[in-house]
Amino acid sequence: MPSLNWKHHALVQALMTRGPLKEKDFHAIFSGLTGKSPGAHQGLFNEYLLNINKELSSCQFELRACRDQYVGQVCYGVVNNVADEQSKLGTKYTVQQIAFFKGILEAIAQDVIAQGSISNIEALNIRLENQVLSTQGSQLLNGPLPAAFRNFTMSQKEKTLDEFVQDQWLCCTPDGKIGLGVRSCLDLRGWFRNLDVPFCEVCNEAVVKGEILCPRCGLKWQNQLPKAEILDEEEEANDAIQSQPAQRPKRKRTKTNETHEKDAVGCGSSQSSVPNSDFRRITRSSSRPASQR
Amino acid sequence: MAGATQDFSQFDISKEEIDKLVAEVVRYVLFKTHQNSGCPIKREELVQLVTKNYSQRALPAHVINAAKEKLSNAFGYELRELLRCRPSSATQGRSTQQTGVAEAKSYVLISQLPAEVYKKYVEDENSAHLSGFTFVVISIVHLAGGKIPEDILWRHLKRMGLCETDASHPVFGNAKQALETLVQQRYLQKDKVNGPEGNTLFYELAERALDGPVSEKMKEYISEIVSKDVVPVDVDEAE
Repeated sequence: MPSLNWKHHALVQALMTRGPLKEKDFHAIFSGLTGKSPGAHQGLFNEYLLNINKELSSCQFELRACRDQYVGQVCYGVVNNVADEQSKLGTKYTVQQIAFFKGILEAIAQDVIAQGSISNIEALNIRLENQVLSTQGSQLLNGPLPAAFRNFTMSQKEKTLDEFVQDQWLCCTPDGKIGLGVRSCLDLRGWFRNLDVPFCEVCNEAVVKGEILCPRCGLKWQNQLPKAEILDEEEEANDAIQSQPAQRPKRKRTKTNETHEKDAVGCGSSQSSVPNSDFRRITRSSSRPASQR
Repeated sequence: MAGATQDFSQFDISKEEIDKLVAEVVRYVLFKTHQNSGCPIKREELVQLVTKNYSQRALPAHVINAAKEKLSNAFGYELRELLRCRPSSATQGRSTQQTGVAEAKSYVLISQLPAEVYKKYVEDENSAHLSGFTFVVISIVHLAGGKIPEDILWRHLKRMGLCETDASHPVFGNAKQALETLVQQRYLQKDKVNGPEGNTLFYELAERALDGPVSEKMKEYISEIVSKDVVPVDVDEAE
């Protein structure tokens, strides 16, 4: 096990104390501690993260990054990888609030047009009765729903929504809706898998926003393609890359990619943008963070 | 993973099981500290994590020590052991230097980072007001000799803009609850003393404020403040 020094500890404690940090803030801390910027010393930065994760993994924690699907911003955080009895202590929310949160996440994940967000009104109209609740262990709650769930008022929902946004489990999207917060993106990947949310085969992030239809054959692409960039052959050789959001896989820019963001209309050259020939595909196994292998 | 300095060979348990136990204790300490806003965790709670499945007598101590090492090596936290004090009125007859008999052990997490590094990179500015409040209250009680009647404490706090009756203070919310939090965090403890005029509630320093590093730093900061040119004020003066 590598030996961590006070600089590693400062990075970990900064994230644990202050919560998820934007990339520029996390990089600023790294630069302040080491005197080197991650941009110019990518190898050193990766090595720091790798060594931190080798220690954290023994306690089922991970220093991870994710990209906000609404504004594209990268954030770093220390996340918990296992839902055990100890981690249940890690919340200050009530059972009702957690059920409400689950309802919101499901509504966002199962939205048929995959906007990745729902309106405030939709969130407030979520009924806790529709949630499957669990008691101790994995047993399901049987019998009539307790009154506390039926009586979770609109006012309580509003207050709870504000708390979720403040605590970064949810966010207000640029168009004024309720979306997934950075903590959800960092922490809840396992839960998204259970909801059959597709994962991008390129960046291995849960795709809650955006679903592409092949304009030629109408075949649903289950994974959202990233913006076109040049694929970097060196990425695969770098083990530490899984500690960061996968560098956006790069491929030659094609005209069709510009239409992806508009829900793909058009045809003709669209075939060339099908993820096969024009760029190298990163398989899920190579892009998966080390802790999940 | 099992502490490098801990010898688990005396126990008939696999390394994997030891590692799992140590991880459980580490996770419990981290999550519980977050949940209860830094209130000390009783040693008994950590012991039970081990004894619920294992009956070897010395195993809990070894696991807790290994968890201490893990918290230090991986996270840079010291799992600091505190001895719970009893209120001084419960220990009458003892030296006034002592604040009470040690009862139970408890633990708090303390960052091992240098102070200037912690302040620059780790400290959450959203909670700076709580640290300031803690320091001010402990300082007042310390300057009063380690113990102060409740009404005198509030008199001093009122001079700084915080009233006992404030239920919606813009920074601290409910003022009484803010003070009560210091009791829950074991910076203070309450003591009811019978007197000629009935019961008087006192606040006195508890083990967290009396702990060596905290106590020394506090005295240092107080010295820094009072060494400046200030006009002394009689504490019995009314506002």
